[in-house]
Amino acid sequence: MAGAREEKVPHGLLHAFLALVVLYTVYPVLWVITIAFSGKQSLAIADLPAEPGFLDRLRAVTPWPAQWSVANFVSVFGDQPFARWVLNSLVVAVATTLVGVFLSCTAAYAFSRFKFPGRRAGMMAFLVSQMFPGVLTLIPLYIIIVQWLGLGSTRLGLIIVYATTSIPFSVWMLKGYFDTIPRELEEAAIIEGAGPGMIFWRIVLPLALPAIAITALFSFMTAWNEFILAATFMDQEEMYTAPVALRFFVGGFQQQWGYFAAGSIVVSIPVVVLFLYLQKYLVSGLTAGSVKG
Amino acid sequence: MSDAPALRRRFTAGLALAVAAGLGGSWAAMRGEWVNQRDDLALRRGAVTAMALDQLVGRAGGTGEPLRAALAAWQAEQPAGTEARVVRLSGARLEASTAKVDVGDQAAPRRLARSSPEDKVLYDRGQRLRGAVEGNREGGAVKPEVEVERLAGGRMRLAGPLEEDGAVVGLVQVDLAPAPARRPPAPWPMLAVAGGLLVLFWFLAPRLGGRAWAHGLLAGALFLGGLLALGAHDIRRLERDHREAQRELSDHAREVRAGTAKLLAARGLAAAPALDAGRWDVDRMRRPRGLLDERGELDLARAEAEVRKARGDAVGAVVAAALLGLLGLALVGSGLLWRFGRALVVHRQAYRYIAPAMLGTLVLVFFPFIYGIALSFTSSNIYNTSAPLPELWVGLRNYWTILSDFGIARRGADGALIWNYLNFYWTFLFTVIWTVTNVTFGVTFGLLLALVLNTRGLAFRPVYRVLLILPWAMPNYITALIWKGMFHRQFGVVNQVLAMVGIEPISWFDTPFTSFLTAFATNAWLSFPFMMVVSLGALQSIPADLYEAARVDGATRWQQFTAITLPSLKPALVPAVILSVVWTFNMFNIIFLVTGGEPNGATEILITQAYKFAFQKYQYGYAAAYATIIFGILLVYGNVQNRVTRATEGV
Amino acid sequence: MRKLTLLVLTAALALPGLAAAQGARLVVWHAYRGGEKLAFEKVIASYNARPTTKVKVDPLAVPFDAFADKVSAAVPRGKGPDVFIYAQDRMGGWIEAGHTVEPIDFFVDDALKKRYIPTTIEALTYRGSLWGLPLDFKVITLIYNKKLLANPPRTTAELVKVGQGLTNKAAGKFGLAWAYNDFYYVASLLNGNGGAVFGPGTRPTLNAPANVKGMQQLQAWNRAGFMPAEPSVALITSLFNEGKAAMVFSGPWFLGEIAPGLDYGLAPLPAISEAGGQPMRPWMTVEGVFIAAPSKQKEAAFEFVKYLTGVESARVLALEGRFTPAVKAVYDDPAVARDAQISAFKKQVEVAVPMPNVPEMTMVWSPATTALNKINSGASPRDALDVAQRAVEKDVAGLRKGK
Repeated sequence: MAGAREEKVPHGLLHAFLALVVLYTVYPVLWVITIAFSGKQSLAIADLPAEPGFLDRLRAVTPWPAQWSVANFVSVFGDQPFARWVLNSLVVAVATTLVGVFLSCTAAYAFSRFKFPGRRAGMMAFLVSQMFPGVLTLIPLYIIIVQWLGLGSTRLGLIIVYATTSIPFSVWMLKGYFDTIPRELEEAAIIEGAGPGMIFWRIVLPLALPAIAITALFSFMTAWNEFILAATFMDQEEMYTAPVALRFFVGGFQQQWGYFAAGSIVVSIPVVVLFLYLQKYLVSGLTAGSVKG
Repeated sequence: MSDAPALRRRFTAGLALAVAAGLGGSWAAMRGEWVNQRDDLALRRGAVTAMALDQLVGRAGGTGEPLRAALAAWQAEQPAGTEARVVRLSGARLEASTAKVDVGDQAAPRRLARSSPEDKVLYDRGQRLRGAVEGNREGGAVKPEVEVERLAGGRMRLAGPLEEDGAVVGLVQVDLAPAPARRPPAPWPMLAVAGGLLVLFWFLAPRLGGRAWAHGLLAGALFLGGLLALGAHDIRRLERDHREAQRELSDHAREVRAGTAKLLAARGLAAAPALDAGRWDVDRMRRPRGLLDERGELDLARAEAEVRKARGDAVGAVVAAALLGLLGLALVGSGLLWRFGRALVVHRQAYRYIAPAMLGTLVLVFFPFIYGIALSFTSSNIYNTSAPLPELWVGLRNYWTILSDFGIARRGADGALIWNYLNFYWTFLFTVIWTVTNVTFGVTFGLLLALVLNTRGLAFRPVYRVLLILPWAMPNYITALIWKGMFHRQFGVVNQVLAMVGIEPISWFDTPFTSFLTAFATNAWLSFPFMMVVSLGALQSIPADLYEAARVDGATRWQQFTAITLPSLKPALVPAVILSVVWTFNMFNIIFLVTGGEPNGATEILITQAYKFAFQKYQYGYAAAYATIIFGILLVYGNVQNRVTRATEGV
Repeated sequence: MRKLTLLVLTAALALPGLAAAQGARLVVWHAYRGGEKLAFEKVIASYNARPTTKVKVDPLAVPFDAFADKVSAAVPRGKGPDVFIYAQDRMGGWIEAGHTVEPIDFFVDDALKKRYIPTTIEALTYRGSLWGLPLDFKVITLIYNKKLLANPPRTTAELVKVGQGLTNKAAGKFGLAWAYNDFYYVASLLNGNGGAVFGPGTRPTLNAPANVKGMQQLQAWNRAGFMPAEPSVALITSLFNEGKAAMVFSGPWFLGEIAPGLDYGLAPLPAISEAGGQPMRPWMTVEGVFIAAPSKQKEAAFEFVKYLTGVESARVLALEGRFTPAVKAVYDDPAVARDAQISAFKKQVEVAVPMPNVPEMTMVWSPATTALNKINSGASPRDALDVAQRAVEKDVAGLRKGK
């Protein structure tokens, strides 16, 4: 570690770079916030005088509402059971994450550690499953989930679809990560008499936490933002999820972007919270110590 | 493996499988053909009866007492169980009926009862036929003009439109008595042959010693011999029955023609123009099939062609059964199946770990996928969704139409190139550019940020990290539209900023390149956080002592990066890159929301194009072919990438 | 233990919500929200409360974006509602696909048909059969800022003159702001000149002389310079609200966006001076109430549909939900007649043309929009429409290739 300090890039430069990137990332988000707090419904439009000067243009590109209002938030929560729908989303997304991560971990472990016929084909099958265009599969999915399995209007139906959607990436990601974990650790454990379950739970999983955090975030997001399947499978308003709720603000003739923006902000909060929780696994520093056991 | 009794057992099992699949399959197919043939005959007989009645009703004026009298006279000539109804749409009237239920206060003529679901079905059917006839006149025959309904007890109901002066005014519906039942071909000969083959093999096998190839040869020869003998027999029978069916149909048509002519004469109705039996033997679209001439005699050339086609189908079925059987034999005989079974047992732990994840994927992904591929070989569209897929089979036509059109550009009158943005190859090229630029940017930028954020001791790292994943956290529907708004020519912030530094405003969506830039900026914004997070996670897998060792050796930072960081990241990063290529290739939302394909479809990618064919142009088969091509391209990519990655792994 | 927990969890997740199946009830899908939804649910409550109602009704709101897909996925498989409400533009597609919409003209007598504005019935008629009863219509009209303009123009000649007078480009002020880059809006000019998108049946007629004439007129307006460039919805709204656009062509959905306190009026779209004083004929969108083909309670459903589209419900929907109902008698109601907005749309709809309901209509949008963009940037209307015509012809023929 000592050596790293010797040829360090100046932190000032890094901060400048990051500030630029943050501007790029946050700018559109600021517009969403502006619209949400504007109390109005239309997408923001730069209001320019006849001969706009530099300052006029600067004002026009600054995301700041003419006046602040929380009316949009009040309406979003007051006019429909939005909180209930967010709760539904949470249940579905958390369950998807648990199911998805668990199944991917076991599968990825097998792909990484066992040699068996069909191993390559199996990995390929997961990859192939991502290749067929998804927008065209609504009706086949409806047939399977609602008609054959009878899981219309249930959370389980959605969870199955979402978990299945997220599993291929998770398996690939985890398999790649498991491959980097030295086998010597497991071999040592076997010598000490540990069973395969023990090895998996006590040794491999803890070492793979960064990858698991990523797959968890990914699975959560897969379930969290999906709209068309949730709207199609659910036949009761109280079963809708948050993304469905948001789409109510997009009508055929008129779009209530103020409500949509307010709802979007509410909807992104759990994601940020989840990330805040998971990020400790992504930043635990170089894992020199842990690998050594 | 060359143990003689084991070989004997194995190949007997293989032969049993082959016989079950091949002989059984062939027999089932033949029986199916036979049933179809009888069915088709019944249907065509029915059509002749119905169309002749339709003509009679038309000549009886289609309404009033003359019609009812004519229908009553017609009924007198029919076998028991046949009945007919004539409905006129205007006023929803049952004009005439010989149906058993239409008596007393239900007797024709009467208005169809609004409260009666049966009457509604009748009326709606008339409306549907009228719509079909009118629609078909606009071009192409797309909707059935003769409706067939199977009733209980083998009875059949046919309905055709009643036309007056070229307009459909009602319908004629006939319920037909069931055709005399015929016994379908029995399975006994097939079972006898199958049993015989097995017994024969069982007793001959010991003479072959321990030679596997000899076992295979004998089993194969026995199987093929049995199948060919049975198949030839079945096909001959099928042909004979087909010819007989044609004769029956012709007899029936002549009979009906004579009967109708007699009725016309008896009721003093117009006898001219002469009745044309050739126009009674029609398909669902009321197109004459051409088997019968106007007097109802067989057109011999046409009849032979029909038989030939039936024979062709049957031969195809036998060949397919033979292949299936041989496959079974090979699988069992070579011991492949056995090894497969053993592998399942030996590696059961691994399979158990994988099964749940795999199962969902197989069911939810591969069912739509196989359905999609099947659809891609048909002409399925919104007008014929109710027809079964085999009827719409067009082979490779969709693929040919898509792939054979190389007209990417042509010379305009002034010699300038005019691009055809709707051409497949343009869209493909654009999709590739779109994917390569986006993934390259996403990976580089994501990795760069991850490295920066992984710098020890850098202040505010948690804050940066959270701010940088915001694009991923926010629903992309609204953020995509915000991005679109930012590129508005007059009021978008991008042009405002350009104006601040003195650059003329740009019409972003007017040229393919600038339009691409808008979608690229949006997608880059949306996708780098994911790559950054993946890279951050992957960086955690690199043991710090590697760097220490490198530093001890005096490696520069760049050398450390290329020699340690990149190779160590590869296992976790490669899957993310491969998948992001796949996702970006099919990134529907961004293109759809931001550029919408502007200008003139130049910035469509393959998936948005497929979507348009499916949901705007309703050409489902064509869209499915598009989707399958997308899939094929990605499959090739996946294989190549896999091979490359493995190759470098080996180094 | 873990297995047990998993089992319980699975069971809990598989459990459908509480309001599931309570005996025979009619399920109605709609895409309303906000005030429209409240009024709609009030009508349903009063229907359910009627002593004569045998089968009660449960409404389900479905987002507009998902509505058509949900209907296409669920209804043909018998899993859908008994009744659903949607605009007529998807109707033809559902009818051709089959097993989705039930034809109802067997139930409907002439007296019932005469209850509605004739063009709304026409909009729901496909291949000679009636497939639904009309609930309300949407149509664009002239909306003007009373402070800037006392008397709205009655002819297009006046419109251009008044518009130019109110335009001050330096101050960012325009006489007229409307979505003239959207074919839906521009169709009012084409229709007014006697044009149409389809000839008899599904024959495309995009390049018919009347359409070319309508587009030439649009170009003349472009040259007259009283309309803002690249008019997006947000731009039009903001211009009107800031008093920078005196007139707007838009529909009832626009009224909710108008800033409170702004004094505005509604008037019919002007008559086209160049076409001998023929009125501009906007397209009308009709929300039809359809009975699902697989419904097991079609007669009860029809009872409800009749009630919903009747005058009693129309009054509630109009006054509380700001609907513009299709049933004629509601406009004789004093409270509705007093309502200047609703009356104005009623007046406009008399010259409106139902938007085509054939499935081929979806093939028109993209080529027509491309043509419109070219025309707005100065290309020859004739050539642009010829290109669009060829594209639509090709797609229409693609459906009829047969096997």
